[in-house]
Amino acid sequence: MGQPGLDPKEFLERLKQEHQVLRWEPLPPNQFNPSSGGEQSRSGSSLDYLHKHWALPGSFNPEDAGGGPKGRLVGLFGRLTYRVLGRYLHEERDLLSHVVRISEALERRCDALTLRVQEMNLDIVRRQVAEAENQALLAAWLHAESPRTTGGVASISSTIAQRNMAAAAAEAAAAAKEDSDRSR
Amino acid sequence: MTVDRSSQRSSGTSANPSGTVKGDRPVIAVLADQWEPKSEEGWATRQVAGALACSADVHVITPQGIVPSQRVDSVFTLHETATPSSPTAAVRRELLIEAISDTGWSATGRLLPEYGRLLDRDLLDCWSASSDILAGLRPDIVVIAGHQHLGALDAVDRVAPDVPIVLLALGSDLNSLAFPHFDRIFDRSQAVLAITETERLAIVEHHGGADRVHRIGAPLAANPSALNEPNTWVGTTDYVFVISSTKTHANEEAVALARLIRLRFPENPVGISATDAFSVWHQGRVGEGWPVERSSDLTRLMAWARVVIDLRPGPLFGRRCVDSLLYGTPIIVPGNSRAREHAELGRGGLWFDTPGELAWCVEAMLDPEVRATFSAQGKAYAEDAFGSTDGYIERVLVATGKACSDVGEIGMGGQIVIPGVGGIGAGGATSLPITA
Repeated sequence: MGQPGLDPKEFLERLKQEHQVLRWEPLPPNQFNPSSGGEQSRSGSSLDYLHKHWALPGSFNPEDAGGGPKGRLVGLFGRLTYRVLGRYLHEERDLLSHVVRISEALERRCDALTLRVQEMNLDIVRRQVAEAENQALLAAWLHAESPRTTGGVASISSTIAQRNMAAAAAEAAAAAKEDSDRSR
Repeated sequence: MTVDRSSQRSSGTSANPSGTVKGDRPVIAVLADQWEPKSEEGWATRQVAGALACSADVHVITPQGIVPSQRVDSVFTLHETATPSSPTAAVRRELLIEAISDTGWSATGRLLPEYGRLLDRDLLDCWSASSDILAGLRPDIVVIAGHQHLGALDAVDRVAPDVPIVLLALGSDLNSLAFPHFDRIFDRSQAVLAITETERLAIVEHHGGADRVHRIGAPLAANPSALNEPNTWVGTTDYVFVISSTKTHANEEAVALARLIRLRFPENPVGISATDAFSVWHQGRVGEGWPVERSSDLTRLMAWARVVIDLRPGPLFGRRCVDSLLYGTPIIVPGNSRAREHAELGRGGLWFDTPGELAWCVEAMLDPEVRATFSAQGKAYAEDAFGSTDGYIERVLVATGKACSDVGEIGMGGQIVIPGVGGIGAGGATSLPITA
């Protein structure tokens, strides 16, 4: 075979021995970056422009034609054009007004959805935090010796809290010692 | 007293496929409850009959069929008596054995007569018609497939109480093998054939006679074409192949274990073969397809997998696991299954008793070096124990020949002849005298 053989029985025993030590910890929750509000789709200037300019002129302004025979000719042509295309221009004006309204509504909807997604993100992160805490509790429960009752779980929680406090106290003591060493 | 069966047969009404008398070949009757290769038991029965057919005229007698008939089936003559037992009777027997065994009764070895009658109810009469066929055949040897078929034993003893019996134990259930109710069929048999070492040891432990209990294995071979091209349903290679043998969403342990594997190893492609679908899980996403129906698809999937996890191996010898080992793919099997023998004795894989152990085993097997070692060990074992058809035929014929030589009073004048096996050329043959 060219390689040392493996006895499955011994191998399994070794596997079990190795897994006697708990090498598990809950995954930390995802990093949550709250939105600064800039993610909303409100682009005020463009929407303002739409609101101000959606109403196109409804008739020909004679002043635009200028004076003289050329002006009279342009004025005549302008009035004729508006007379012929008047109905189309009114329809187009209505259309633009609807487009502007729809744009306004879409913007509001997008903003609402953005807020909703942010809320959901927050909910998910909160849930992850709760799950991780719960998993940690379970891991401690599985690792401890037969804590089979709710009281057992509670005692485990208090044990964890005590261990955390002890660790924090040890850290504080170490930091204080370091400070005193420095001051010397 | 010497009974010369060959002379009786030549002067009597011997039946064989051609309808003519063949005095030079012994006649062997195989009594089989089921004559279908779907189950491992049925498949194993056919293989034994096939091995015997190399040197004898094999007549298969089964209670199956709609009308009584006799026809040629491949190299066998099949006699259907059309007296099948009720399926519920067999289920009742299994349940009763399990229930009684669980009570720890088997230690005392005493069984109330009521229980004995209940065990045999509706399971004896179905063999009655076999006696007439046996009387006509006058077989030199009778093979009974299944140690629970006391009705078959009665059918033989009614007409030929001194004919040697070879019992193909088919001991899928260790409780049943140990059940004293079936002692008389073991006691009456001159040879007992077991497929696996576990089965052989169980028989020897409960019924003794280590010299007459033979492990014959099974004839299996890897089809090289499966290694020509991978089945890409899961991926080219490096995937975990799980065989759950149950419905995808069934409320059963195998489904939960398959779920555990795909949740535990999301970065590794996992193919799960259920009876109603084939699903591929990778990175939390699933792709579902039709169930694997063709054996060639199954073997290709096994041949290219990193490891095969058979959550419900076959009850008799875990045929799929042997197939997998023949392709060099290690196995992981339940610790209480018969396939554990291939992992433990064959050193071809690992076994588990708890879900946690299953996860550890898979994790260990994903290590290429560990996998390579188990692959080499398992392949060598499978090729040695199961890979040779000639070797299988030889084992069956040697065991059967020994059974008849032990009787010592059958002067049939014939022999079981093993044609060219074990390195003997086509021109050579090993003769195993079955006369004293």
